[in-house]
Amino acid sequence: MSTSTLPMTDPTAAEVAPRPLLGSVLALVGSELRLVLREPLVLAFVFAFPIVTVLVIAGSFSSDDDGFGGVDPSHWYVASYLAVVVAAIGLVMVPVHLAAYRERGVLRRFAAAGFPRWSFLLAQLAVGLVLTLVASAVLLAVAAPVYGLPAVHDPVRVAAALLLGALAFTTIGLLIGSLVPNARAAQGLGLLAFFPSFLLGGGGPPPAVMSDGMRRVSDLLPLTHVTDAIREPWLGTASGLGHLLVVAVLLGVALLVCARSVRL
Amino acid sequence: MIGTPLVRVRGLTKTYGDRVAVDALDLDVRAGEIVGLLGANGAGKTTTVECILGLRRPDSGSVDVLGLDPAVDGDRVRRLVGSQQQESALPDRMRVGEAIALFRGPRAATVDGLLEAFGLADQRRTPFSALSGGQRQRLFLVLAVLNRPRMVVLDELTQGLDPAARRDVWDAIMVLRDAGTTVLLVTHYMDEAEALCDRVVVMRDGRVVDTGTPEQLVLRHAGWATVRFGTPVHESGAAGPHVDRLRRLPGVRSVVDLDGTVEVRGDRGSVAYVCADLVHGTVPHDLTVVMPDLEAAVLALLTSKTPPQRPAPVLITNGALR
Ligand SMILES: Nc1ncnc2c1ncn2[C@@H]1O[C@H](COP(=O)(O)OP(=O)(O)O)[C@@H](O)[C@H]1O
Ligand SMILES: [Mg+2]
Repeated sequence: MSTSTLPMTDPTAAEVAPRPLLGSVLALVGSELRLVLREPLVLAFVFAFPIVTVLVIAGSFSSDDDGFGGVDPSHWYVASYLAVVVAAIGLVMVPVHLAAYRERGVLRRFAAAGFPRWSFLLAQLAVGLVLTLVASAVLLAVAAPVYGLPAVHDPVRVAAALLLGALAFTTIGLLIGSLVPNARAAQGLGLLAFFPSFLLGGGGPPPAVMSDGMRRVSDLLPLTHVTDAIREPWLGTASGLGHLLVVAVLLGVALLVCARSVRL
Repeated sequence: MIGTPLVRVRGLTKTYGDRVAVDALDLDVRAGEIVGLLGANGAGKTTTVECILGLRRPDSGSVDVLGLDPAVDGDRVRRLVGSQQQESALPDRMRVGEAIALFRGPRAATVDGLLEAFGLADQRRTPFSALSGGQRQRLFLVLAVLNRPRMVVLDELTQGLDPAARRDVWDAIMVLRDAGTTVLLVTHYMDEAEALCDRVVVMRDGRVVDTGTPEQLVLRHAGWATVRFGTPVHESGAAGPHVDRLRRLPGVRSVVDLDGTVEVRGDRGSVAYVCADLVHGTVPHDLTVVMPDLEAAVLALLTSKTPPQRPAPVLITNGALR
């Protein structure tokens, strides 16, 4: 066996050559994506739940309902579906995943095996992004033949909103996952954050039918801004820039807090 | 090849809040030896290991691993030292082959040979959750040596395994030993240390209470060998000729006859004389011999009333502290 020829000299450069950051991140992303595809609960929550939501909610309003500012409800809800995906990944999947890895000592194993300090968090960001894009694509592919998709007015801003929204919520998920004591707590806290966000920040009733109090809460929810930053440039009802800025600031702050407080 | 120190720890101290986990600990691991770090739960073994791997920062004292300070150069240290951390798992759905692919670096050993040597050749596609306890620990051994480290640190590798699985893991560690790998083996199983270790370091409350080969510790702390047997009623009696004769045998320390059960205590060699003597009379059908072992030695060390003394500072007569 190769362990038999241990040299007794000082460590050589080859022996202590660091694992390259990019290579480590890519290896982790590949491994994590493969594992996600084997996780039925994640698949159900990230892929199936938003699709069911789409089919139920968008079909619940008649196309001349006037709560949507003149927009066909099934078109109005397209941005909401994507926001539901973003929230499911960031608020539920990522925190539970990270907390479970820490609880089971998987993270310690990565650290002891010489993975660079930030490689796991960077990999999670990439995984969150990839999953958001794939789940969004699947969802639109299901929705298109049923309700038809409205033309995208400003694709660049829509893409920017989806990207920044996915990164911001994945970062928030990493924060939650690193602050809670264990995976069960992460699940509790994640679902507690997810359902109000889902109901008031995207997938629920339109603002026109909300009470004043509900609307005020809705305006404060980060997910509302992700939804609007996607919807306005998609439908061409507004630029969505204000909302995009809020999402960008949210991402910046979340990244900063994450970099300062997250331990592996 | 035994001799070159790979790890040199001096005066290592680590506290959590006001709880002292490791207290002025000295430890050497030399190239080619298997060193056992023994002690009860909470003795500070894991904390010591984490300081050596640079996963924890000592409060004071010095740690040198292959000329590197783990608190400063932890990344490099962890490339040179393979490890199995206590209570650290892999993702349930990760397969054996995938784990190896993820953890292997540019200097990795040939995987086929490793899987063969550790009895996992047929498990490449088995997910972690479907491995038996013994297979999991053998996979951790493979991962620990995968990138051809200078030494490996194994923390409670056989915790929670059934006896047969523990033996399998021991065999795997013997594979390492035969290959000349340096191992720091943390355990609270004494039979494991006795079977595998060249040298053991016994910890209690964060301090080293003794260190030496298992044989040395047995000699120092395990007490006497005991031979016990029943005598026919007519021969019993504390001052019987039988008892007197046993008392005069080389190495025998004491002989007591209690209601027909004779108990002879002495050094290991005395057992041979006692048994040879018994052959001349009626050979007892209920003969038991208890040899002193590491378990008894460490138990004595860990349960002695006087806790280990920290070396007191030497006071010179004029009051200056040397
Ligand atoms: N992260 C921690 N925070 C607080 N106390 C700890 C921590 N880790 C270990 N301890 C305490 O330090 C002592 C030594 O623990 P440890 O090094 O794990 O011992 P061992 O591995 O010998 O069982 C124990 O009393 C334990 O409760
Ligand atoms: Mg321990």
